[in-house]
Amino acid sequence: SSSFEHHPKTAAQNAANAFCVVASGTMASLTTASRTGSVASGKAFPDIDHGVTKHPYERRFSPYELGGGTVVGVSPPGANFAVLAGDTRLSSGYEILSRKQSKLFKLTSKCCIASSGSYNDVKQLRHVLEMRNKTYADRCGKEVTTPSMAHLLSRTLYSRRFFPYYAFNVLAGVDEENLGAVYSYDSVGTLQRYPYSAAGTAAEHMEPLLDNLVAEKTRQDKRETPLTLEECKELVKELFVTAGERDIYTGDAVEIAVITADGIETEFFELKKD
Amino acid sequence: MMEVNGSAMIVMAGKNCVGIASDRRLGWNKQMTVACDFQKVFQLNDRIIVGLAGLGTDVQSLRNLLRFRMNLYKLREEREMSPKAFSAMLASLLYEKRFGPYFVEPVVAGLNEDGKPFISSMDFIGAPTSAEDFVVQGTCYSQLHGMCESLYRPDMDQNALFETLSQCLQAAVDRDALSGWGAEVHIITPEGTYTRTLKSRQD
Repeated sequence: SSSFEHHPKTAAQNAANAFCVVASGTMASLTTASRTGSVASGKAFPDIDHGVTKHPYERRFSPYELGGGTVVGVSPPGANFAVLAGDTRLSSGYEILSRKQSKLFKLTSKCCIASSGSYNDVKQLRHVLEMRNKTYADRCGKEVTTPSMAHLLSRTLYSRRFFPYYAFNVLAGVDEENLGAVYSYDSVGTLQRYPYSAAGTAAEHMEPLLDNLVAEKTRQDKRETPLTLEECKELVKELFVTAGERDIYTGDAVEIAVITADGIETEFFELKKD
Repeated sequence: MMEVNGSAMIVMAGKNCVGIASDRRLGWNKQMTVACDFQKVFQLNDRIIVGLAGLGTDVQSLRNLLRFRMNLYKLREEREMSPKAFSAMLASLLYEKRFGPYFVEPVVAGLNEDGKPFISSMDFIGAPTSAEDFVVQGTCYSQLHGMCESLYRPDMDQNALFETLSQCLQAAVDRDALSGWGAEVHIITPEGTYTRTLKSRQD
């Protein structure tokens, strides 16, 4: 069998290196030594190392894979709703794995999380948060509130600071005063409550437009009335149409969830399939 | 190499007019800002404006080279260069330096003889793309693409074109650390070129 050795690394080293398997010559060199000059005399073992023992090389397994896609959350200041949306495409490299994979996940009756990134980490994150919510509900007789859930997500992400969850999250819901809340994160748990947030592969395409239309930065003509729910939904659809044009990982359909004090409603909006 | 100095550029077509918008920052080593009035957009004749996004030194060298070539063409051919010919010449110039390139990604805004807009952009070794609506280049090209894709409509007149270009550029550069610090917009129409400097965030 092949003569690879696994070198265990200390926790302080780069997490990815833990999966690095170095082909070394230490064990095999003994067998090589015993086989010197054995070409003519016939070998005990066939020459199966293919030069690996003479020229060691590194094999690497990446624990992350970019599934692609984008998620957006919008809740204008003072609104009693939050809109959360994510496209439904799951990709791997240049291939599409699924056109109907949901990025949204309902955590409590008042909040929802949307995540793009590596789908394995997204699933695990959802599982962990759901477990914490259920345990809390069991013990305390009520669900976790949205701001608490937001902070819980932040701490969960930071607990894996040195081997991060490869998930780009947006959490949206209604808080205790029935005002809409959107929280944005990076992959190690930096938390910010802001009227809008975009995360994922086309986030950079969407953020300037959100700045311009929701926060009205760089605009001289400010809005008189705040954004209504219908306007927010139209804005989100427009954002995904734009993202679908320019980003290869975004497309197929958008799942839009509207979260109010009365509950969570979901609708689908078709996008280009290319 | 493109991110050493920072840049952001849009060229957009309107109805019988074409506009180009650019930022004015010059940075060093991705960290400091050393100028807020660095010119990256050059009007080469009445109907052609070229914007050069990328390494500052190459922007200036290429600008001199292009001016030289335009003048030589005018002397030899006794007529103005058309935007399409200019774009082809620029692509060829860049490819001459294929294995030691100019680190510049240009955008060309031109108006043909019949008043129709001409737009093109290329990568730093001269692969051209021509579009009907808009092209963008710079360190914040994702943000620029997103903004232009949403705000662009066909057949805008020069005032609407100016507004659209300003909003697209400003919103996009506000999301990029390496571009911004001032902005200018030029609109070429059959009557002439109108230039305006935008009042924008200085950060």
